[in-house]
Amino acid sequence: MRDPLTQRMVFLVGLLLAACVAGALLSPHFLQASTVGFLLQYVPVLGVLGLAQTLVMLSGGPGIDLSIGATMSLVGLAIAALFTAGVPLLLACVIGLVIGGLLGAVNAFLVCVMQVPSLMGTLATYFAYSGLALALTGGSPIGGIPDWFGTLAQGRFLGIPIHMWTVFVPLAIALHIMLSRTQIGTHIYAAGNDERAAFLSGVKVWRLRFALYCFAGVIAGVAAIMTLSWFQAARPDAGDGMELLSVTIAVLGGAHIFGGIGRISGTVLAVLIVTTMQVALQLANISQAWQLAAIGLLLIGSVVADNAVAEKLRARARRAPS
Amino acid sequence: MPSTPSRPLKLGREGLLLAALAVLCVVFASQSEFFLSERNLTVILRNSVDLAVICAGMTIIIILGGIDVSVGGIVAVSAVLIGRAYQYGAPDWIVVVIGLSAGAMLGAMNGAIIAKTRVPPIVATLGTMYIFIAILFLVIGGVWISGLPNTLSFLVLGEYFGIPVGVFVIGAIYAFSWVLLRRTPWGQRVVAIGCDEVSARLVGIRVDRTKIQAYALLGMFAGIAAVLYIARLRNVEVNIGTNIALEAIAATILGGANIRGGVGSLIGTLLGVLFIKLTQNGLVLIGVSSLWETVVIGGLLVIVLVLDALEKRRTE
Repeated sequence: MRDPLTQRMVFLVGLLLAACVAGALLSPHFLQASTVGFLLQYVPVLGVLGLAQTLVMLSGGPGIDLSIGATMSLVGLAIAALFTAGVPLLLACVIGLVIGGLLGAVNAFLVCVMQVPSLMGTLATYFAYSGLALALTGGSPIGGIPDWFGTLAQGRFLGIPIHMWTVFVPLAIALHIMLSRTQIGTHIYAAGNDERAAFLSGVKVWRLRFALYCFAGVIAGVAAIMTLSWFQAARPDAGDGMELLSVTIAVLGGAHIFGGIGRISGTVLAVLIVTTMQVALQLANISQAWQLAAIGLLLIGSVVADNAVAEKLRARARRAPS
Repeated sequence: MPSTPSRPLKLGREGLLLAALAVLCVVFASQSEFFLSERNLTVILRNSVDLAVICAGMTIIIILGGIDVSVGGIVAVSAVLIGRAYQYGAPDWIVVVIGLSAGAMLGAMNGAIIAKTRVPPIVATLGTMYIFIAILFLVIGGVWISGLPNTLSFLVLGEYFGIPVGVFVIGAIYAFSWVLLRRTPWGQRVVAIGCDEVSARLVGIRVDRTKIQAYALLGMFAGIAAVLYIARLRNVEVNIGTNIALEAIAATILGGANIRGGVGSLIGTLLGVLFIKLTQNGLVLIGVSSLWETVVIGGLLVIVLVLDALEKRRTE
């Protein structure tokens, strides 16, 4: 309990419970079994983006990927366009993931090779990608995705959406193991904590970050595939606002904006909190404006809380005999 | 830096931008005879006024080492308050005061969060952006405010001695900002904080106070932009201000400001604004869909960032 990161987890669980209680008070429909499936329907897309954003932030720099939502829109359109042009859908999905990786590589090139601050580099590509998504389609969606493909995001197994079982949960577990049990994870934390020390002890800091930006692009592709399966159409604005939401989730989950601190479990809890809040407000028929305000307050509040935790950690480090 | 015989003259960012603007004008003029007409140039100018005003403040904030992605939200909230004030029959001067003070207060709120809680500016202003948009929705209720009076329209649409009033507005704002930044102790403090915040604190500069003031100034400029926006269009849309922050940051970076703080140029920023607005206008005139303009701005930004990085690498 004395560990600030554990305290953070307790705080997040408390927040999740509070969101559930608020949901139950706001709407009589909230405390029903069907709500679980309905709620989890929204989790995977936002969740995987939040996980990718967490990794980019963890590796430090400071790292951030503002283009992640735009990449998602663009990949979704690419897959739908390829399918319309006669490419088999599954092959189109694979190509889509490659495109996502390449779009991520552009970010990686700007940030890790050209040493452009990540905020500026990915802001520029956000412009370029979201503009391309709109311009190439003239703003209209591409439809015609067959019904069988809809199973991924519309089907349920034991009342829980299939993309929850097959994509989000496995990815979260895999990333958790990677971060806590493998050398790559150690290197990511090291790079985020002290870039120079990590470099001097042999971590290829910039190569690692390069890979993580590419990974974020691929994950944006995964999110695009799930959205495609969900709506059976690709919209040019599918990823709008996702960049900010994914940053909010990563930060709320305890990932430090300058890297080095954070856990996958925190991000997962944060996704659940944000989604519960959105669903509760939606069920209670409360204006979307309050959702935005609540997300804004959560974002700022969680960083303030975060800084307090960091302060405490530093104070303890000073007290400890070295 | 040792001077090499192959590069006797340093062009500087402003010179480069001027050259780029000239090239752009030649290209667009060769494709559309309407482009260089007096009427079209006036249209470009009118469309640039609100962005230009905001960019003066954004330059100061970026020199300070900060960033504000919530300016669009500030413009939106100020505009919607102005619209409501008009609907209650408030006279012009009260409307203007409301617009400016609302902007300044929201800006000061950003500054206070950033300075007092040490939340990184990008995160803090992302958060307040959500909050401002929420306020906009709550006040506007999803319906446009339209048919506002045109008593302030001369600020954008009028002419003095054949020169559009917008020129005077931009001139006044930039002259004020330049004097503030380059000729007052306050401006020196801003540059000092942008170069090295820790040292600035150590030499006794009241960093927090200066930050709050700077963000309040940007907020006030956003309030002015809201007044100009309403003067120009006489309505408040639901999606007002969505792209302003990104355009403002793009123009400022194009103009030579360094996102890491300490470096920036008001003249460069103004040229950056012109560059963006000329491109948007020119693309439409030569028949390219306006949907391409974000692609062009994003692409330009990528190119400029890469060029900056190459330049930095060569000088090191």
